[in-house]
Amino acid sequence: MNGAQNSAAPLPMAARAVGSWPRYLRHFEFVLALAVVVGVWQMVSTTVNNKTMVPPPLLVLQAWISLWSETLPSDIAASLVHLGLGYGLGIATGLLLALLAARFALVEVLVDPVVEILRPISAIAWIPIAILMFGIGRGVPIFLIFYAAIFPVFINTLSGIKQVDPRLVQAAHMLGASRRMIVTHVVMPAALPIILAGARLSLGVSWMAMVAAELTGADSGLGWRIFWYQEFFAMDKVMAVILTIGVLGYIFDSLLRFVQAHITRWSPDGAEADR
Amino acid sequence: MTDVQRRWLPLPFFAALLLLWEVAVRQSGQLTLYPYPSGVIVAAIRTIGDGSLLAATSGSLYRVLLGFLIGGLLGIPLGLLMGSLQPVNRAMSPLIDSLRSIAPIAWIPMALLWLGIRGNAALFIVAYAAFFPFVLNTTQAVRLIDRKLVNAARALGANRALVVRAVILPGSLPTILTGARISLAFAWGAIIAAELAMGIKVTQGGSGAVGLGQLMVSTLYIRRDVNGLVLYMIVVGVISLLIDLVMRRLQHNLTPWR
Repeated sequence: MNGAQNSAAPLPMAARAVGSWPRYLRHFEFVLALAVVVGVWQMVSTTVNNKTMVPPPLLVLQAWISLWSETLPSDIAASLVHLGLGYGLGIATGLLLALLAARFALVEVLVDPVVEILRPISAIAWIPIAILMFGIGRGVPIFLIFYAAIFPVFINTLSGIKQVDPRLVQAAHMLGASRRMIVTHVVMPAALPIILAGARLSLGVSWMAMVAAELTGADSGLGWRIFWYQEFFAMDKVMAVILTIGVLGYIFDSLLRFVQAHITRWSPDGAEADR
Repeated sequence: MTDVQRRWLPLPFFAALLLLWEVAVRQSGQLTLYPYPSGVIVAAIRTIGDGSLLAATSGSLYRVLLGFLIGGLLGIPLGLLMGSLQPVNRAMSPLIDSLRSIAPIAWIPMALLWLGIRGNAALFIVAYAAFFPFVLNTTQAVRLIDRKLVNAARALGANRALVVRAVILPGSLPTILTGARISLAFAWGAIIAAELAMGIKVTQGGSGAVGLGQLMVSTLYIRRDVNGLVLYMIVVGVISLLIDLVMRRLQHNLTPWR
């Protein structure tokens, strides 16, 4: 849940607090919190006084800036290739399977149990087998991301289509709409908010799977680079890469949230479905 | 399609699938390279028999529960604070969101450095993974409490402490428990990832803490037993199913009014 969605929701407990806080200070709240975190980090670092154990914030910032002219662009590119291929294939497969399952009862009866059996086996549990199948390289992260991405989008798409109000379909049918037109003009728009929420969930688990797979079974990407720098005990650079993973993950989630909010602005589900 | 068909059609389908799998691997003649159903059963009997599966699973589960408790002890109070004080929420939620975007497993080099290899590093990863669902759900839970209930309690003379105890805590409990369920599921995924990464990347003196992840790594690189790997994957899946089941049951029993 983000701030924009919450501000539309009732704010019972918070109502009092808002009034007592000057408006112009609100933009600085985040800066203040960030300053506190960085301050505590600096204090711990000064106390420990060991640049390897706790690299001070400034050192990490310097490492991060210098990484941009060293390995960071190529690592980000490698991770994005993994993510793009795995996520793209996963979303496409999940969507296709869900559409087939919604259309043909036999597909649903056979695919649904398979999904229910495989879904609890997290992508991470596949890492050893994936290493065995693909060897250390691009295959492991792409496969893991693909696997992780399928389930949320499959489940949300199928339930989204099933939740479409049958009266809408009947009304369109009665007004003479063809089957194709009902699918494109009634069913898909009605299911879209839930499908998008599924796509966003998929991206979240894909991101985690990507980092885990790159850490253990890849030879490129941000996750792989973390251990690469660890072998030199360059902990400032390790921290810089870790923070980059966080920032990128945050940006991707915000992007999808933005898309979700704008494409499905008309729907209350757009805001609610991601819970 | 009738209900009877719906229920019984998957069964022969799966039986045929398993049989086909077994026959295909046996035909290929490369029994050490590909896993096959009967081999998985043999691996199950062997690892249950010598106790290695149980020891590793309970080691992992122990760390998951401990990390889950730490995540809850830190996450619930922060969530209560963020849910009831709007400035705190606005200040913290971007921080929480960006820290949440760091896959827990990415911290593993730092965790190894800070806490060492003997299981505590994995514990840090698990607690980190469990922390965020607790924070998010508790925040949400407090925010969604009906203001009218709070007003009614206060109008009837309840003081602040009583309002918290009698209105806010019961009102937010269902959502917090949902957060706990998500947390535990995340924690279980995180422990496997952490143990795998430790098993693969830390070779010197790595035999200290033994969990399911380390067992998978040694099965992959030392024993080269594909059937064992499939068995451990199934165990991981079964335990996440059990976790979900237990947490749902707990939620149902603790908040029967839902």
